[in-house]
Amino acid sequence: MSNLNRRSFLSLALGALLAGGLVVGCNSGGGTDNANKGPEAPAGAEGNKATGDTIKVGLVASLNGDLRPWGLDSDKGVKVAVDEINKAGGINGKKIELMVEDSNSSPEQGKSATEKLISQGAVVVLGEVASGITAQMANACTEKGVPIVAIGATRDDITDIGPNVFRVCYQDRLQGPVMAKFAFDELGLRNVALMTDKKQPYSTGLSGSFRAYFEKMGGKIIDEQFYESGQTQFNAQLTNLKAKNPDGIFLSGYFNEVGPIVKQADQVGLKNVKYMGGDGWDSKEILATGGKAIEGSFFCNHYNDKEDRPEVKSFLEKFQAMHGGLPGTTMGALAFDAAAVVIDALKRCPSDDVSSKTLAAALHETDGFRGVSGDITFKGHGGNPPKRALVVELTKDGQVFRKAYEVTDFPDL
Amino acid sequence: MDLTHSLLGAVDFGLLPQQVVNGILLGSIYALIALGYTMVYGVLRLINFAHGEVFMLGAYVSLFVAWGLGFGPGPVSPDQTSNWVNLVIMLVASMGVCAAVGMFIEFFAYRPMRNQPRIASLITAIGVSLLLQYAGALFLPNSPPVPIREEVNPYRANVLDVPLKPKSADLLAQTKQAQVALDEAERTLKDTVAAEGIKSEFDLSPEGKKVRDARNAARTKATVTQNAYDQSGLSLRIPYGQLIMFLTSIGLMLILRHVVMNTAPGRAMRAVSLDYDSASLMGVNVGRIITLTFAIGSALAGAGAMMNATFLGTPLTTFFGMQPGVKAFVAAVLGGIGNIPGAVLGGLLMGIAETLVVWVGYGDYKDAIAFVILILVLLFRPGGLLGSAKVEKV
Repeated sequence: MSNLNRRSFLSLALGALLAGGLVVGCNSGGGTDNANKGPEAPAGAEGNKATGDTIKVGLVASLNGDLRPWGLDSDKGVKVAVDEINKAGGINGKKIELMVEDSNSSPEQGKSATEKLISQGAVVVLGEVASGITAQMANACTEKGVPIVAIGATRDDITDIGPNVFRVCYQDRLQGPVMAKFAFDELGLRNVALMTDKKQPYSTGLSGSFRAYFEKMGGKIIDEQFYESGQTQFNAQLTNLKAKNPDGIFLSGYFNEVGPIVKQADQVGLKNVKYMGGDGWDSKEILATGGKAIEGSFFCNHYNDKEDRPEVKSFLEKFQAMHGGLPGTTMGALAFDAAAVVIDALKRCPSDDVSSKTLAAALHETDGFRGVSGDITFKGHGGNPPKRALVVELTKDGQVFRKAYEVTDFPDL
Repeated sequence: MDLTHSLLGAVDFGLLPQQVVNGILLGSIYALIALGYTMVYGVLRLINFAHGEVFMLGAYVSLFVAWGLGFGPGPVSPDQTSNWVNLVIMLVASMGVCAAVGMFIEFFAYRPMRNQPRIASLITAIGVSLLLQYAGALFLPNSPPVPIREEVNPYRANVLDVPLKPKSADLLAQTKQAQVALDEAERTLKDTVAAEGIKSEFDLSPEGKKVRDARNAARTKATVTQNAYDQSGLSLRIPYGQLIMFLTSIGLMLILRHVVMNTAPGRAMRAVSLDYDSASLMGVNVGRIITLTFAIGSALAGAGAMMNATFLGTPLTTFFGMQPGVKAFVAAVLGGIGNIPGAVLGGLLMGIAETLVVWVGYGDYKDAIAFVILILVLLFRPGGLLGSAKVEKV
């Protein structure tokens, strides 16, 4: 083979390498090398103790990089909760000192940020939004015996990393079934097709859990078409789908591609079809990318600011008062919940012994804490609270709450 | 026979014409970008890795122009209408800025490397590409990704329907009936929701749910009859946006052909491509020809970017050019890098191959198969389909 071709292949390999380095999306993906270690704290990891008249709490958020909108909301949400308790005089006279570090949307930097916070005396670490970053942070925390409360890490195995890894969001294994049940019971769909982003573990996992539950309920998955993050033209897949007569299409990927897919589906001639998805749709931009065609679609989310619950109203008022605007994503509410649940547990720690150890024990006792995104109970559930999941509809004015599902609605999961 | 059957068992041959059309539409954009790679390679023997990033910048130019025309980041008011002039302004602006960026990159990054070993320019090209991606992210709106609003495209709702075989009139009547029944059912449901005094159809009483079930059944019927009608004949559907993309691409390629074949600079360009040193000895201003080549190639990428971002709705990040860039590069190599008709052929073939792979049901291996085709072609025709196979030293 001539040198010309060898060079071409080198270039191709380089191109592929560059393409592979792109980090897209939020809630899942990334590696958890130690995920199968099992929840056991290493011996000698004592964590930190609160000294003086402050309690140090760490937050790792993606203040830069791809996940910036979620990182900024995490930061703002946590600050609302911390500000509230400090204005009320703190916990047993001790104020909370919030220390924020940037993960720059990267698992490695998230890990070093966590280590820095722990070395500075944080008794607990809050964060992150992405499962890939959270996994690295959880490893660092478990090693040092510090509890971690994740904000939006939905991947199922995150909480297996250590005994004191908590989250305030639901898990991916709930999202698929929630949408499957909604599609079957409420929308009356029976022949659904899947569109899966082959490049995102989040998407392939979500398509899988939707398919399993929908088929169990008696529905039919008539086709599954694949695409990749970054693709712009979807005619080929949509032409195939149309020929299979779906009455609904479940799109498990992120909004970057979902919007254009739905817009192009409309042009291919798919009419009266219901589009559905997971929390990867959560963004303001999806209405612009999907255009008119995406209005009237449904997806699964953690919380909705139009929901009629007192916790939501008071959170939005406090957020507005402090930051002069509403949170742009659901992560503002989840971050507030993560901080609030920690503050609630800190109140239950013995006043002369506030440490990572007593806090972890108190967190495990959390029972029916009324969060903005729903009740949070760690007692009897390890780090995975049985959280509610909401189905919201996309209208031209944004997301509108339609139906809430509790974990107890899925006894067979 | 059995193998064919199991491999192609689920394939719907009725879709073949539409899928070939889809492939040509996709391929025309690959071809447009591939031209930039191939032209630069032709005159400089350099693979301009930053070409995908020029494409990305072109998309951002279109975005900013769209904002300037009143189709800003926020929701667009319903009385804000667009027309074809806006699209032309976006196209010209994107092409112009890209041409300037291309010349700028050539002048600052590649020209100082021209007398260095070829590998130095290649690494510089990768450097420029990464620089534009990551430095661009500091200045350009990209997080969250920003789309160009569809309202700027006045033809967004139009689809060209080319009938090949007439559809059943019976089914058309049924489809219309089903749609009327669905509208009726929607109205009844709306009334029921209003009567029950609830917020949405998802809080209905058991009685009300029956009305909703009826609506759902009507919707399913409407979908099924509509599809049956669509499939009773044969017609090609091409959204106007994609038709414009295709026609513009073809138009630009014809203009390029005219420039290269029938004008003095074009002749000089071919001379440089044939033999760099001799051309320079014959009085060709090689530096200016190289600048011109970068300008033309980049302008074509700008045109592709504007159309891609405007008509397909893809939201922009500074990595927007990466996937089209890699695909177009493969297309250029497939057609024979350095060969202009080869880039067009390679682009179209890539688009059609990818689409047909999805059509037969192997969409999850789409890219793998595209690369296998490339490898096979290069094994038998090392210079690409239309290229000449000559050994070159890097």
